[in-house]
Amino acid sequence: MTVENLDLIAGWAGLVLTLMVFSYLLADNFLYRIAVHVLIGTAGAYIAIAAVEEVLLPWLRATVFSDDAETSASIRALGMLPIFLGVLLLLKASPRFARMGNLGTVFMIGIGTGVALVGAVIGTVLPLARDASNSFDHESVLNGAVLLVGTLCTLVYFQYLSRRRSDGEPANRVHIRTLRFVGQGFVTLTLGALYASAILTSLSIFSSVIQDQLRFILDQLGG
Amino acid sequence: MQADRKTRRRRRLKLGNAVNATLVLALGFTTMVGLISPADSTVGLTADIFLQLAGVLAAVAVLVGVSNLLFVHLGRLPRVRKGGFYSLVVILSAAAVTAVQVLDRTDAWGGDLEGEKVGPRLFGVIQVTLESALAGLVFFFLVYAAYRLMRHRVTWANLVFLAAVLIVLVGWLPLKDWEGVGDVRDWLMEIPVTAGSRGLLIGIGLGTVTVGMRVLLGRERAYREP
Repeated sequence: MTVENLDLIAGWAGLVLTLMVFSYLLADNFLYRIAVHVLIGTAGAYIAIAAVEEVLLPWLRATVFSDDAETSASIRALGMLPIFLGVLLLLKASPRFARMGNLGTVFMIGIGTGVALVGAVIGTVLPLARDASNSFDHESVLNGAVLLVGTLCTLVYFQYLSRRRSDGEPANRVHIRTLRFVGQGFVTLTLGALYASAILTSLSIFSSVIQDQLRFILDQLGG
Repeated sequence: MQADRKTRRRRRLKLGNAVNATLVLALGFTTMVGLISPADSTVGLTADIFLQLAGVLAAVAVLVGVSNLLFVHLGRLPRVRKGGFYSLVVILSAAAVTAVQVLDRTDAWGGDLEGEKVGPRLFGVIQVTLESALAGLVFFFLVYAAYRLMRHRVTWANLVFLAAVLIVLVGWLPLKDWEGVGDVRDWLMEIPVTAGSRGLLIGIGLGTVTVGMRVLLGRERAYREP
């Protein structure tokens, strides 16, 4: 088999798979399901291959199977630690030994929480709060005011603290209700704009897919 | 006797939870302090090792997950009527990708394909094509959902939402006579949408901090023993 033949087969396979996916526009059918299951199988295999080739093998080569004579026994043991914890995760399938599997989960959650906390504070909250405080650096005072009011009202919209009335119903003060109302407007505008952006992105992808497949068909027809 | 055993068992479970919570606190706190400390300090190096260990553990967890997926589909194979055929498709696809990868790594291709890497081509054909087609399919669902939104119930929030959608979509069109819509769209994206997304992102950040602190303090235990 030549490379050209391989590309030809690949092109036809791509065309067939694309048609199988778009057949869903008619109805949920077995061709679409086959395409989706092909995607699941290949995605699973690619993820597993990437995990082995890009993470596990380099780690094991650098620690457990290191050729370096200076690699100490403790580093080799450290190299085995995540493998051991990962194998413990398998035990979560058994109700009897699930507790041992928790050790791996605890490890992931502990480190993940530390990273998430630092990331949220340093990477999100502080820079955005700084940007919000610099809203009036904008050319127009009105735009700056809209930016600041929009940010604050959006935050107020997501607070659910309220006093309970004598009849048991929660009640907010008028100014809080007003701020929440304005915040809801900003959230709705933002979600609408993001929704439209999603439509435009998917439209671009759709036209790109159609263009690629049409080009392949025209190439085959000699057009 | 049985009640005594139950009490002892309950006590043991609580001890397990306490150990887990302590480990989470120690690991999380060390990682947190290490990330904001100089990289060459002891705590910085410790956090670096923790992150590497977590990365490898995540890779092992991925392998465990993929193995679980394949075992579930293997178990479904005999039940043809309950989707056994689709399970066969999953297993054959995964086996084909793995086989091609092994042949690529061992340079086992002969003839004109000698020295070629078939794996990346296969990835381009199957993975990229299928994902692009599915992403393209989303376009129809998004448009249909926007249409259904107004049929369902007309509220002021729905109207604002739809107005924002239409302004962004129409403003995107390169129409000469409608340049004003383009300006409105640019202003909308630059000012109110920036304000809204900034508020949402700060809210998400504060929510992450709250949940993170609850996890570190043992109030939110996803690792609770059964």
